[in-house]
Amino acid sequence: MELDFSPVLTYLPTLISGVGVTFVIAVVVGLFSVVGGLLVAVISIYTNKVVSWPLRFFIWLFMTTPLLLQLYFLYFGLGEWILIPALVVGVLGLGFHYMAYNADIFIATIRSITNGQYEASRSLGFGHLRTLYYIIVPQAFIRSVPQIGNNLILMVKDTSVLSAIGVAELVYASQYAISVSFRPFEFFIVIAVIYYVINLFMEFGQSRLERLTAYRR
Amino acid sequence: MSTQNMTETPMVEIKNVHKSFGDLKVLKGIDLTVDRGKIVSIIGSSGSGKSTLLRSVNHLEVIDEGTILLDGVQVNRPDMKGLAFERHINHIRQNMGMVFQHFNLFPHLSTLDNVTLAPRKLKGMDRKTARELGMEYLERVGLAAKAEVFPSHLSGGQKQRVAIARALAMQPKVMLFDEATSALDPELVEEVNLVMRSLAKEHMTMLIVTHEMAFARDVSDWAMFMDGGVVVEEGPPDKFFTNPDHERTRSFLKKHLDSNH
Ligand SMILES: Nc1ncnc2c1ncn2[C@@H]1O[C@H](COP(=O)(O)OP(=O)(O)OP(=O)(O)O)[C@@H](O)[C@H]1O
Ligand SMILES: [Mg+2]
Repeated sequence: MELDFSPVLTYLPTLISGVGVTFVIAVVVGLFSVVGGLLVAVISIYTNKVVSWPLRFFIWLFMTTPLLLQLYFLYFGLGEWILIPALVVGVLGLGFHYMAYNADIFIATIRSITNGQYEASRSLGFGHLRTLYYIIVPQAFIRSVPQIGNNLILMVKDTSVLSAIGVAELVYASQYAISVSFRPFEFFIVIAVIYYVINLFMEFGQSRLERLTAYRR
Repeated sequence: MSTQNMTETPMVEIKNVHKSFGDLKVLKGIDLTVDRGKIVSIIGSSGSGKSTLLRSVNHLEVIDEGTILLDGVQVNRPDMKGLAFERHINHIRQNMGMVFQHFNLFPHLSTLDNVTLAPRKLKGMDRKTARELGMEYLERVGLAAKAEVFPSHLSGGQKQRVAIARALAMQPKVMLFDEATSALDPELVEEVNLVMRSLAKEHMTMLIVTHEMAFARDVSDWAMFMDGGVVVEEGPPDKFFTNPDHERTRSFLKKHLDSNH
């Protein structure tokens, strides 16, 4: 079989807009899932069972069921009641999914900080919340960099799952181009390369951040 | 203390303090008065309740019974609840410096930031003033050159000196030391002791829990021996370390002088 990349060039604008959508989803979901994961972790560790058990249940639920299924539930479930754009459903679904994974990591790293840190801060006169804010959370964050980085890398690849509910990200955008050009392999190769390059950048950022924070551990 | 000046409020007053962990009674009615500028050493075998007593003064342990006063202000307030108590205890703690056996420096902050965080955030000190203050205290513990270094790059002795500077930067009325040198390699003990001696010279009020008898004898104005949650004996160091009244004190001192030297 001979490869012909000219259709890819023809539909380059379509691909670029797909990359743009993927990028926006990744950034929004990244922020949402990291900040949300941290909040969920802090709340589930430092509040009573009435609050923390439901939170743990949702973390467990999101971690033990497939992302695609969660998206279908949200898309068709919510669709019964209200009209929400697929993009919003996708961002929420992916966001909650990775929020659960990130929360799971933050819970472990917060727990790994010795009580001596908390006590040292309190003994200086910092209150409970300020101790969490200035001492515990920053340290947990630094310890979480490698694993949160891994999650974000997985998350970027999982943005492609959103094509299943019709979000016009990279894979979905290419599907249209493929259906009219009949050159699937060329598009698949180019798309794979695009994901690979995004991955390279993210791994670079992750290892830089790890190096920048190593001496603060 | 016997040499109490009746017109002056003692810096620390511990009255009839009781504390249990579940069924285990750890403190069984402790009394101790520390006058302004005095140094009291607390000694005793492992598990006798020394740390629990010191941590109670800082309210890291909540006592079951009794009173603790700092400069005439009651530390434990069973009558206060929730946020009101939190505000009260945060304020009290700003006047007490606590030094831990395992340093507990904040690893995500530079040496200087370890020292300046509390003055900046709790006293609203601006960055520049805090920096000057921080450098001044790092200077005092001999570590001004390490201001920008992170704790992971310091030796144990250096860490403990930074921890002391961190506590001093809040300009506390009293310093509490819980075995400040126990976790250190022998050759690093002296540099920390030196800092503590310099504080003694400046008449900082100090409560020192220690296993170093020679240091305790040298530096303190009063020594106290605890065993099984009670004070067995206390007195001025000259008498306490050479000619104690109680047999239990004598055998403890004998054992520790033997094992230390
Ligand atoms: N949080 C706690 N929960 C339960 N028991 C505790 C707790 N803290 C201390 N204890 C117990 O209380 C007793 C006194 O402990 P404490 O740490 O005050 O002794 P210590 O005199 O400081 O001993 P060491 O010289 O080993 O430091 C010990 O039996 C200890 O096991
Ligand atoms: Mg102890």
